[in-house]
Amino acid sequence: MSAPAVSVRAPRAGLGLSAFEASVIGLVVLLLAVAVVGPLVAPESVYRSDIANALLPPGAGHWFGTDDQGRDVFWRLVVGARTTLLSAFLVVTLYSLIGVAVATIGAAGPRWLDETLMRITDIGLALPGMVVALGFAAAMGPSLRSAIIAMAITGWPITARLLRGIMRQTMEAPFVAGARALGVSRWRLMTCHVLPNSLDVLIVKWAGDVGTTVLVLASLSFIGVGAQPPSAEWGATIAGARGYVSTAWWTVVMPGAAVAITSIAFGLLGEIIQVRRDPSLRGN
Amino acid sequence: MHMDRTFQGSPTPGPNATTLARAVGLTVDMPVQLGASSVRIVDGVDFAIGVGERVALVGESGSGKSVTARALMRLDRAARVSGRVEFAGRDLLALSEREMTQVRGGDIAMVFQDPMSFLDPLMTIGDQVAETLRIRGVGKADARRRALAVLDELRVDRAAERLDAYPHEFSGGMRQRVVLAMALVGEPRLLIADEPTTALDVRVQDQVLDLLDDVSARRGLAVLFITHDLGVVAGFAERVMVMYSGRIVEDGSVDSVFARPRHPYTRGLIKAVPRIDQDLDRLYAIPGAPPPPFARPTGCAFHPRCDAAFAPCLRDVPAVLPVEGGRAACHLHASQGA
Repeated sequence: MSAPAVSVRAPRAGLGLSAFEASVIGLVVLLLAVAVVGPLVAPESVYRSDIANALLPPGAGHWFGTDDQGRDVFWRLVVGARTTLLSAFLVVTLYSLIGVAVATIGAAGPRWLDETLMRITDIGLALPGMVVALGFAAAMGPSLRSAIIAMAITGWPITARLLRGIMRQTMEAPFVAGARALGVSRWRLMTCHVLPNSLDVLIVKWAGDVGTTVLVLASLSFIGVGAQPPSAEWGATIAGARGYVSTAWWTVVMPGAAVAITSIAFGLLGEIIQVRRDPSLRGN
Repeated sequence: MHMDRTFQGSPTPGPNATTLARAVGLTVDMPVQLGASSVRIVDGVDFAIGVGERVALVGESGSGKSVTARALMRLDRAARVSGRVEFAGRDLLALSEREMTQVRGGDIAMVFQDPMSFLDPLMTIGDQVAETLRIRGVGKADARRRALAVLDELRVDRAAERLDAYPHEFSGGMRQRVVLAMALVGEPRLLIADEPTTALDVRVQDQVLDLLDDVSARRGLAVLFITHDLGVVAGFAERVMVMYSGRIVEDGSVDSVFARPRHPYTRGLIKAVPRIDQDLDRLYAIPGAPPPPFARPTGCAFHPRCDAAFAPCLRDVPAVLPVEGGRAACHLHASQGA
């Protein structure tokens, strides 16, 4: 039997970020900066047809080429970044709020209510989120707003289930028993002591979920129930260009790469936060 | 079920005290599994605590002392508590859960063993101490002022500057003072202290005990002190109740119990305390181990470990009978005639 591995690590300077962590965080910051600043500096022409310059390959004038309407692909991606990221943030925030509410009401309320809410959560978990979101969005009429609402409605069960489990654990903490022994009511116990001490996991999940949501939102738009042309939203852009895959690859590959990179960047960010808040995972 | 157990009149506090809290035939059953059978952890306990009286409840781990204390405040939701628990004339077992939250922290407060884990790590100590008041409708500024006053009373260093500090910024001893402040700020009349000093080192333990001593004297606060440390009992309490396997086996003033323990179990406990003035090769230990609550021996639960056991001990649960300076549940005294 080998002795347990003891890793002795030299303290790292500053925040102690590895090169990999720094590049992921840098990428996320860059994406956010593009989403905030991009639409302010983009030329007006991103929504204007210029048939004479349609389907130009990437070059000096148009870095990522032009699409079938002669619009600059690069600047459309920059403008679309805000739509895409803002929508994803909105979706994740909305369903996190629903999840927190369901978990807290379940934890604080009577047993039957907890059971009822958790069974509804189970049903929600059993349904394929994407398909249900598709149905909801189609029923409300295809638009970006419908897609956001549909995803918020279908996204909460995982958050609720996860948080309810963690809250159950936190409820075992001695300080909860202590507060109870001093007359703190069950509702206040849950909202003021148990919930705040359970939330850190959601912060990790939140970052990772933005990545997934960017992908799902683009998919919904691609299918046609999300953002509609001429929106520069990435999924809609891919949908609009899908007829040119064989003749003008850049019209599809560029927005596709944007979706992939953003989704992966936020996913990795979630993982980095998770590793850094759990010292036992650190150092690998 | 307890027809064989007799109690001479209703339980009374020590001399010179009016009754503040009283338990009569207090019995606690804990479910083993949901819906399945249950185990009797506390088996018909009678006692009383007087206004401002300091009572120690001692016994080995698993004797039911913590469960008894928790039952007074109805803290275990799964437990079935029967008998009677009176506080200042009110029957606590008859109150609604809502009324009970007013009793907790208001009339009766409780502090626990490990000060480290009994503070919410995400709440400032000012907010935590004030919370007991805030939930009773005291205004924010007022609650904060009173929290500070209690922290000062408990001599928390630089309390005014550190109201907005978090628990991890305090040492173990200071944290225990904060926990004590949380319990005292609601001005309870009875404080239940469940091994409040066990997790602290001896020097800090001493400070906390001194503090508790001071506060209890100044406020006329009754304290039910749960411990297995007889040294602490001798220094702090006026009266001591000894619990064994869910029953009180001896109850009396600290002086008389330590000078003349009546129950063989109490005698064993006192003999087992290491003494600095005697040179011994081996420390004394009571032979055997306490029985699990689901397999209590017949008669006196202590008889398998008792060196004085005789026929009745195997057959009948001994009645709690008055003896000089207190009461005891032992056939030795019943046969001698109390």
